[in-house]
Amino acid sequence: MPLKEHITFYSRLKKELELWLQEGVITSEQRDKIILRYATVREADEKAGPGKLVTTISVLGSILVGVGFILFIASNWSEIPRWGKLFIIFSSMLVSYVVGFYMRYEKGNYPKVGAALVLLGSIIFGAGILLIAQIYHITVHYPNGPLMWGLGLLPLAYMLGLRSLLFLALMDFLIWLGMESWLRIPGYEKTIAFITLYLMAGVALWTTGLMHSGFRSLKKMAAPYLWTGVPVSFFCAYILTFDVFKAGLGAEELGPFYAGIMVLFAAALIIYLQSSGKEKHWMSETASLFAMMLFVLLLALFFHGGYGSAGPDKTFNIMTFTSNIIFAFAVIGILVLGYMRRLNAYINIGLLFFVLDVIARYFDYFWKLLPRSLFFIIGGGLLLSGGLFLERKRRKILSSFADREVEE
Amino acid sequence: MRTKFVVIIMLQVLLLTGIIAYREYWVRTGEKIVLKTVPVDPRDIFRGDYVHLNYEITNLDLDKLKAKDTFKMNDKAYVSLIKSSDGTWRASSVSKTIPSGQCFIQGRAREQLADSLWEVTLRDKSGVIHKLSPRMFSIDLKGEELVFCREKDNAAPSFFVQRPSQRRSCDSGTAIAGIVEDIRETKYRRLNVEYGIESYFVEEGKGKAIEMMRNDQGLNVEVSLKKDGKGIITGLIIDGKKAVY
Repeated sequence: MPLKEHITFYSRLKKELELWLQEGVITSEQRDKIILRYATVREADEKAGPGKLVTTISVLGSILVGVGFILFIASNWSEIPRWGKLFIIFSSMLVSYVVGFYMRYEKGNYPKVGAALVLLGSIIFGAGILLIAQIYHITVHYPNGPLMWGLGLLPLAYMLGLRSLLFLALMDFLIWLGMESWLRIPGYEKTIAFITLYLMAGVALWTTGLMHSGFRSLKKMAAPYLWTGVPVSFFCAYILTFDVFKAGLGAEELGPFYAGIMVLFAAALIIYLQSSGKEKHWMSETASLFAMMLFVLLLALFFHGGYGSAGPDKTFNIMTFTSNIIFAFAVIGILVLGYMRRLNAYINIGLLFFVLDVIARYFDYFWKLLPRSLFFIIGGGLLLSGGLFLERKRRKILSSFADREVEE
Repeated sequence: MRTKFVVIIMLQVLLLTGIIAYREYWVRTGEKIVLKTVPVDPRDIFRGDYVHLNYEITNLDLDKLKAKDTFKMNDKAYVSLIKSSDGTWRASSVSKTIPSGQCFIQGRAREQLADSLWEVTLRDKSGVIHKLSPRMFSIDLKGEELVFCREKDNAAPSFFVQRPSQRRSCDSGTAIAGIVEDIRETKYRRLNVEYGIESYFVEEGKGKAIEMMRNDQGLNVEVSLKKDGKGIITGLIIDGKKAVY
């Protein structure tokens, strides 16, 4: 067996061993013995360099080449005839796809670079849609561009099981949502309706991610939904912790979007509940998502702005207060969940928004109370020590995962 | 797997060629009209590699066109067109329903608002009378000493009040100073319509030259109309010649 195949076998074996250990098929001693048997392969794997680095470099390369194509056509717009532009788009897209597929699946000698080339093909496909729109000077209903791009990528992402393509498709859908709703939202005073709309979309994506994780065959594709859904949800919820409740949080014109998101959310939730591979503490996570979705939907439909009983003159108002409490619970919730499930991503997001929340509240409450110089000195000091504390805590938690994995 | 991959990629190619075929059919079979552009004011700060085009039919005087409908944002607006002697087309009426037996273009209402047309009569120091049409004005300025700044591009002139303590001059354009003798305000219902033909994509750096032509009013645009009145730009006409396609 060539060394390359040994390494592939070794990395697969490592994953399988973890699974067997969890299922009680083997003991940890037996696992260590098996790993020892492949010590040479491990050394070779380590010397060959980390696989993630190869992926990162290849993906970055693909993005740069994709951007280069777009810029080349844009800066030679009138020199290149229309058919020339189309020829460049079609030929480069097909070449990237075919070479990428060949490298990853047919020959299998460069799987990571192959995947990156398929991603490049997908970027050129999107660039093609946008360039055709430019060739024909299309401005009406431009959101159709990202929508078609995303829809075109979805079957390819699932067929090849490539998470980068799925991530790109989900980003397209989020961009489409923003552009399409912008055309419908009347006036700037309703801008905050974006936040609730995106919060709903984020929660729906998060739930769809959970649904994927419930099935062995779809588990791999859960990550892009969570990578997009969780940060979008937290970012929008974070915006709602500010004093934004003067205007209504929804818009009648966005009704069809609310309905669509609700259908996606409900379907994902029901399927997840039926699935066999639910994650640890799934009940508290899904219950929180359900409550959050219901709360935001009610706000979007029935909250028409204005302050609570405290009146507009008071800085305290009931809506901002409630949203801050909910947000604090959400941050604690995701940190606990991340710790229980050993999910670094949940912990990092939780810590990030914890820090952002502390900074925002500090500015909210102490800006007017303290002299400026003292404000900055105390604030800076607090942040530095807070940063040190969080960094140590984070490192401790993450290393405890690694320790536990070795112990087991 | 290979077959599935090929099928999906072919579907992507089909989608792209579908968009091209649809647009190309529209360009070739639609009814061709020529529309006059007008200077854009305020100037577009975020212009990149495209020219922002405003037309005579972008802002419609609903009273002059005797329109009965009231338009909300995003309502469809069907603008009937008639050919002028110079070969360009102008609005003859506007409604929410498709007009029958006439050439028309379809757009979407951006906003309907009450607006005013101003005509200011200014007498300068040598006694010469100037008729000026600023975009905005106030009836209270009668008898005041004003300075109007008239730009080369024929955009509505800006103005400021000249105070003896603080003499100012125009930042650009020609200055016309004088006393306001008469002000005529004509109120009307203005409808701003978007037709989807407001952007013309050009090579990086070339937009500026075309925008200058647009602001000098030497730029017309050829548009191909589908049966439902939707338009697509098929060329720019500069000094009577089709310049770019």
